[in-house]
Formats: sequence, C-alpha cells, structure tokens
Amino acid sequence: MTDSFIADRAPLLELRGISKSYGKVHALRGVDLSFVEGELVALLGDNGAGKSTLIKVLSGLERPDEGQMIWRGQAVDLNSPRQAGRLGIETIFQDGALVDGMSIARNIFMGREPTNRLGLLALKRMRETAQRVLSELVHIDGIGSCDRTVGELSGGQKQAVAIARAIHFQRTMLLLDEPTSALAVKATQALLDHLRVLKRRGITSVLITHNLYHAFELCDRFLVMNRGRVVFEAAKADTSIEELTGHVTGVPAGHSS
Amino acid sequence: MTSMLDAGPNNDSGDPSATDSAHREPHIAATRRVRRTRGWRRALSGGEASAEIILLFVVVQAGAIVAGLLFKDDFAYLSRANVSIMLKSVPVLGLLALGVGVLMIAGEFDLSVGANYTFSAVVAAKLLTEHNLMPVVAVSAGLGVGISIALLNGFVTIWFKIPSFIATLGAMLFWQGAVLLVHGATAIRISDEQGLRSLFAGSVGPIESAFLWMLGFAAMAYVLLHRHVLGNRLYAVGGNAASARAIGISPTSVKLIAFGIAGGMAAFAGLLATTRVGSIQPGQGSGLELQAIAACVIGGVALRGGRGTAIGIVLGAALMFIIQDILLLLRAPGYYLNMFVGALIVFAAIVNQVTARRASQADD
Repeated sequence: MTDSFIADRAPLLELRGISKSYGKVHALRGVDLSFVEGELVALLGDNGAGKSTLIKVLSGLERPDEGQMIWRGQAVDLNSPRQAGRLGIETIFQDGALVDGMSIARNIFMGREPTNRLGLLALKRMRETAQRVLSELVHIDGIGSCDRTVGELSGGQKQAVAIARAIHFQRTMLLLDEPTSALAVKATQALLDHLRVLKRRGITSVLITHNLYHAFELCDRFLVMNRGRVVFEAAKADTSIEELTGHVTGVPAGHSS
Repeated sequence: MTSMLDAGPNNDSGDPSATDSAHREPHIAATRRVRRTRGWRRALSGGEASAEIILLFVVVQAGAIVAGLLFKDDFAYLSRANVSIMLKSVPVLGLLALGVGVLMIAGEFDLSVGANYTFSAVVAAKLLTEHNLMPVVAVSAGLGVGISIALLNGFVTIWFKIPSFIATLGAMLFWQGAVLLVHGATAIRISDEQGLRSLFAGSVGPIESAFLWMLGFAAMAYVLLHRHVLGNRLYAVGGNAASARAIGISPTSVKLIAFGIAGGMAAFAGLLATTRVGSIQPGQGSGLELQAIAACVIGGVALRGGRGTAIGIVLGAALMFIIQDILLLLRAPGYYLNMFVGALIVFAAIVNQVTARRASQADD
C-alpha cells in the first residue's frame, strides 16, 4: 500500500491560503493543502480543529473568506454542492447523505435520476442498476431488495449504500466526515474494506476520523489540524501512531490564538 | 431526522429474513421474498406504501355499502341523492389536499390555501362579471394569482428562514382581509357563462365533471410524485433537506415549485367551487386549509415531510366526507361530526408515527 503514494504526481486539488471565519471564530486560518489522485488521506485533529469546516469548504457547502482552490490545475470557485458534484467531489456525512423515507434505488439515483424526455423516471433501470451496484461494487450482507427504504437499514448498511453510489457515479474525490463514529465494530471493518475498494478504483478519499488506529491502518498520508491550521503532515512511511497521537493531542505547542 | 445509531452487535442484520451468510443464494432468496410480499403495495402506491389508508377506506366503504343494502330505508348510503352529494362534495377538498399534500411531502405547510382559494376565485369572478373578460382570461388570471400568492409564501419562508407554519398563518389573515378590501363582504354571483359551467360544473353521464377533474389531478399527482424526477426530489427535500443539498439538489427551488403547486390547486379548487355554486362568498374558503391538512394526515402524509402518496391524499379527503356522511345518515347530531373527524385525525397521526418508526428501525 505504501507504493501507491506518489508525491510527484500532479495534484488533483490544491488549496492555497484558505481561511474561513464565523463571526469571531477563525475556523480555518490560511490552509495550504494538496491531494493527488487515488490517495487515501486521513484528516485528524481534536474537536474544533477545523476539520469539518474544511470538509464543508471542499464540498461546496461553505465558501471560504479567503484563498484559492485549484482543481486539476485550474482555479475553481466551489459555491455549491452542485458545483462540487460537477467536478466529481462527493461528501459522505455520518448519515451518508441518504433520505430514510426513500427506497435504496431512489437514494442511489437521488439528484441524478435517469429519465426519459418528459422527466419520467426510468424506474426499471434504476432498480436493476441499484441491485447490481449493491451486489457487485460493495459487498453488503442482508440488504436484500433495493426497494426497501433506507430507514430500515443499519448504520453500516447506509454507509455502504452511500459508498456504492459514489463508486457507481465514478466520483473522483470522496470526503468522509466521521463515517465510522456511529458504526458497530463489524460494520466499521466493512467500511474500511469499502474504502480500500475506492482506492483501487483510483478515487481520492479524505477521511475525517477520531480513530487513529483506523486511520493508520488504512491511509497513505496524514494531516493533523489544530486551531484552523494544518500543523503536521506526513506520509505513512515517515510517521507512527505515537507521533500522530502527539500532534493530535496538541503536544507541539506554539500556536497561540 | 437524527441518526443516533444503536451500535449493538446485531446492527448489521436489520432484516431478520436476511441471513448473515455471505453466500449469494440465500441473499437472492431473501430478496425475492421481500419483493413478493411488497409487490401488491407497490402496485397500488408506486413505491411508497400506503396500505393503511387503502385498507381503512375499503373497510369503511364496504361496511357502509353492506349497511346500505341491508337497511335501504334507514341508511340511504347507496341512494342516488347521497352518491351524487358525495361526488359533488369530495372534489373541492380533494383538489386542495392534493396541492397541500405535495407541499407537505416537500416539508412545508401552507395555511393560506383557504384564503388563497377565496381570493383567487374573487379575482376571477370580478374580472368575469365587472370587466367582462373572456372566461379563459379570468380563469388564467385566477390561477396566476393563486400560484403567485403561494410563491410569495415560499419566498418569505425560505428567504427569511422562518417556519412556513408562521409565514402562511400571516398570509392566511392577510389574504382573508384582502378579499374584503378588493370586493367587500358581499357574495359575487357569476353569470351563467356556458363555457365555464360545462367545463367545471357539468357532468359526463352520471358523474360530475368536478369529480373527473379531481381524478385527473390525482392521476397527475401520482405521476408527479411516484414516477417523475421532481417527485423523487420532493421526497428527498422533505425527507432530509441536508442530504438532498449535499447531493446537489436545491431545496429552495424544489420547495418553491411545491408552494406553486399548492397555490395553483387552491385557486383551481376555488374556481371550480365558484362555478358550480354560481357565486363566491368572502368567507367561503376559511377552514379549508385545516381540512386539507387533516385529509393529508389521514391519508398518510407525514407532518415532517418526506412521506405520503397521491392515492392516500385522495382517499384521506374522501374518507373525511364519507365518515361525515355516514354520521349524517345515522342522524347523529352535528357536533358529533367534528368530534369524530377530530379523533380520526389524531388517530391517523398516531398510525403514521408508528409506521414511520417501524420503517426506520435503525433510527431508534
């Protein structure tokens, strides 16, 4: 897994001097980052470090006050999730960005429904594709029919559906905000397997997590945030769990507010 | 929509019929089983279950028909006059409820549809009688006014981020007053415009055209909600606006369309009722907004949005009238009607809550 981190590849997405404040709270202070294609990056840090704000900026939900974003070498303005979606960026929040009351098939095609010219849904195609996506792309036990509503699924199954959706629509970059925080042990392990599948398909994933062991097991590169800044950055080969833990818990001081 | 998940050890197997095994065969067998048992529900409702309301409707209807056959003289449910009254009175509420239901599925309310209904009809009637405009122009103007009023509600609700309940409560009072402002407290009689009357108040064979309009709009609502891409987005936005937004759907535009539909249906219902009766009273529509919401709740539309079916909404509206009709035929005193309908609404809301909870075990 270590050989897949190729530093000299052209970056997929670059952030330069991204800042974002909410009133007097400086959530992000001049963040410089870059992500290359197909890497799995862990975004670490204590509560309030700015991780979630960064994900919101990347997913187009929040607009940075300052700074520049460069996608495949071109400056972009991510002003909406739709805009981010067009580039191929998809966010998987804790609930997987799914709607409980709708069927699995309808959730998978939500916002990207196949229709005829009158806007009528191609329901048969949706159902068949969804069933195939669920059985082939991610291996999930016990989901059964894709006509079931998402509300009937467990947390792990929901995540799997969201990931299957992202793979099916060939997203280039996946942002996962605390995807494992609500999962049982077995479901978490399954999710980590799904993330490996993503990586094999060349999808860049950014994983926010509190669980350093999961992160270390899975990711190629680690970013530690503290008080709105990236305070530590290392490839897997160059660091250890102990070092990461030290940075997350704030041992390296000197960043006054 | 909290997602407080129980991280129990059995979290992975939400469906007892599905085995824990990773083998394909039992997996597919479970799939087939689920599909078969749910097939009839899907056939009736187009994907979203509305079995409870269909069952209730069939039971009440069957009971009333049997009683009508057994006691022809005492319980005249099947008499020509009674059936005719039913076919006349259901459509106005049914049309209103279809619009309100679509909006509720998108997660918003419009308490001003009753006032909207009256105001739009008054505008159309005034254009027709005092300005001698062609019926088609007057009707279009009425519909335009209805849609505009609702879009304004949607705009205020979304732009200022206030609950639609409050925004449209204000709108209800505003447009009730506006009716008196533009016309005064007297009824407007519309002259016997042949075109309008045959369109809205005629009949095809024994069936009132109003009833056919309702069936037509119910079919359109069915296609919109269960077969059209906009329907998918209405459920998405009403069910979980944050998820819909994260996936690139604009809740604002979807909700505005839903408000527009509610306003258009309110104006249409007002025009239909005005033409049928031949006049419009300034206070005529008040109270209809709550009845329409009640019909939707009885029909299985979730108050929090994201759930409901076209067939449920129509049956909910019909059921309100059928139950009132049955009580009238049983010569129950008037106050029983409200008491019964009131109890039914609460009962329906409880049933909705229970089914919604059962449908999302993982949410507990």
